[in-house]
Amino acid sequence: MKKPVDYPNILLDALEHGIMIVDEAFNVMYWNQWLEINTGHDYSNMVGKSLLTFYPEIDYRTLQRKIRTTLRLNSPTFYDASLTNRFIPISRNKISSSLLSTMQLQVTISPYIIDQGMVMIAVYDISDLHELKLTLQKQMEKIAHLNSELQHDKQIIDDNLLIVKTDGDFHIIEVSKAFNTFFGFEKNELEDCELQLICSDKIPVSEYAQMKNTLQNGQRWSGEIEIISKNGQAIWVDAVVTPWSNNSGSLSSYTAIYHDITDKKRLELLATTDLLTKLSNRYKFDEIFDIMLMREHWKTDDTFAIVMADIDHFKQINDIYGHPRGDEVLVKIAKVLSQTLQTGDVIARWGGEEFIFLLSHVSASKAIHVAEKLRMAVEQLRLFVDVRLSFGVSLFVEGDTHATLLNRADTALYKAKKNGRNRVEIV
Amino acid sequence: MLKRVEFSGDHLDVLRELMNIAVGNATASIADLLQAFGTMHIPKIAISDIKGLKQYMHETIPNESSHYVTKQLFGGPLGGEFIFVITDEVAINLGNHLYDVEAPNDADIYDAVIELTNILSATMISRLTEELNIKVQFFLPSTEIISGNDLIYLEETAEYSQIIIISTQMEFQNQNINGHIFILAKDAMIQSLKDLIDQKLEELYA
Repeated sequence: MKKPVDYPNILLDALEHGIMIVDEAFNVMYWNQWLEINTGHDYSNMVGKSLLTFYPEIDYRTLQRKIRTTLRLNSPTFYDASLTNRFIPISRNKISSSLLSTMQLQVTISPYIIDQGMVMIAVYDISDLHELKLTLQKQMEKIAHLNSELQHDKQIIDDNLLIVKTDGDFHIIEVSKAFNTFFGFEKNELEDCELQLICSDKIPVSEYAQMKNTLQNGQRWSGEIEIISKNGQAIWVDAVVTPWSNNSGSLSSYTAIYHDITDKKRLELLATTDLLTKLSNRYKFDEIFDIMLMREHWKTDDTFAIVMADIDHFKQINDIYGHPRGDEVLVKIAKVLSQTLQTGDVIARWGGEEFIFLLSHVSASKAIHVAEKLRMAVEQLRLFVDVRLSFGVSLFVEGDTHATLLNRADTALYKAKKNGRNRVEIV
Repeated sequence: MLKRVEFSGDHLDVLRELMNIAVGNATASIADLLQAFGTMHIPKIAISDIKGLKQYMHETIPNESSHYVTKQLFGGPLGGEFIFVITDEVAINLGNHLYDVEAPNDADIYDAVIELTNILSATMISRLTEELNIKVQFFLPSTEIISGNDLIYLEETAEYSQIIIISTQMEFQNQNINGHIFILAKDAMIQSLKDLIDQKLEELYA
């Protein structure tokens, strides 16, 4: 059968989508060129035959219902085009990126000649659009999966890591749940607070300024700091603070991750503290002493001094009053010496009834003056027994070593003892 | 700023009457085409802005379930949007009824929802437009599943200043199928609807 040549047919053949006319029994009355080309079935093969012959897999019950609806309502009906194609399968030749082997069709069933039970079925290839939708769906699923993993990881971080985030001016903008729990703060309690406020005032202002400076230069800062909990307890933490830049490259925020090092600090303290007097021990003193020796900018009138002190006739106190009372004397003297000393100077128990001091940025006269102050402080102490201290001072000069400086201080102390005790000598 | 279109009591009465006829028509068509016998409520008519519509939908649609929301546009002298909302449970019942399978797959459900929407929109809108002596064109409906009752995205509808809401509810108890229907028209189309009702009134009282 030859397709009649007239304008409507030419028009229908020129369309970029498939057009067929079928009746309620699925008999094909018209099959346009688009369908001929894309299905491989000629007009002459199809017309007069049932769709069932060529496409037995279609759900004809549904198709019949849709045709009937179209005819009864004199209004178009549609197949859902959002999931799988439910109309005739038409193979698709896209090779480069195809997710679909057959076309995804948008199918519209429109009334044609109602009294003869005929409808026009228009099929539009929406495969590219559908493919895009499927790709997008896959990407969305991936994003959702990644997002869920990210949320999970974020939750773990929030629950377990001590994190504080600040803005560019070091005002707190976010605090992890773990941080709040660990330090006893309520949620949002620390928001807008200056970061420095949660740090112990034992941290010198200069050190805090140095940390800020490092960060403002875009560098990471790490170190040990003390944080004050809600109930006022000072807790040592190891901190790593990282600066973050915004898209324009300027620093916008800082993230501090803290790690509790209380146990480490406790052990460190035990290893460096004299258990009786709570002063630094000889090991700690030597460590500081060596650092001071390594500095190269000492001058004659701006140097450091080593001062050795020994309690006069301490053996007698122990012998007469017993060791516990002797220990009591040591504790009281240690306390008064610590209180008399300036911030930045160092005191340690050297052993037995001996104490040692490191005075920084002093001249000879200043060092003697400080030693005198210490001596008088002990002299004025009112205990069950009068106690006095002898002091030996040595001043660092170029070429001095640990041993030479200590030897001189020891010699000076010996001199003080020899010259009548309760006095200060310098060598 | 668009001028608000004011509907008189007469306008609303005519529209209500026309919608009653349309609803009756829809019920009959569903019984005939889908072998489901049920009732549809008398339509409610309201004129609102977009926030009012959002609020109205919140009050009408339960927030607890997921919903199949099918939207179909119609255009011509009277254009607008037809929205059919059913819960996912009802959508399964519908798929079950139309495809006669124990557990309809997603494609069955989507197609069944589209089919019912199609019948509802074609019968209701066609009947309304027939009474108003005009023809409209229907566009391909699309369905999405929405969790809760947030069916209106304010950012996507900002240009609508005035909306007419025609809403009704259908219940087919034997098949456990029920859903909400909203017919929305905006701005110029409201004026067009008013003009068409004016013509209808002239016809009636001529």
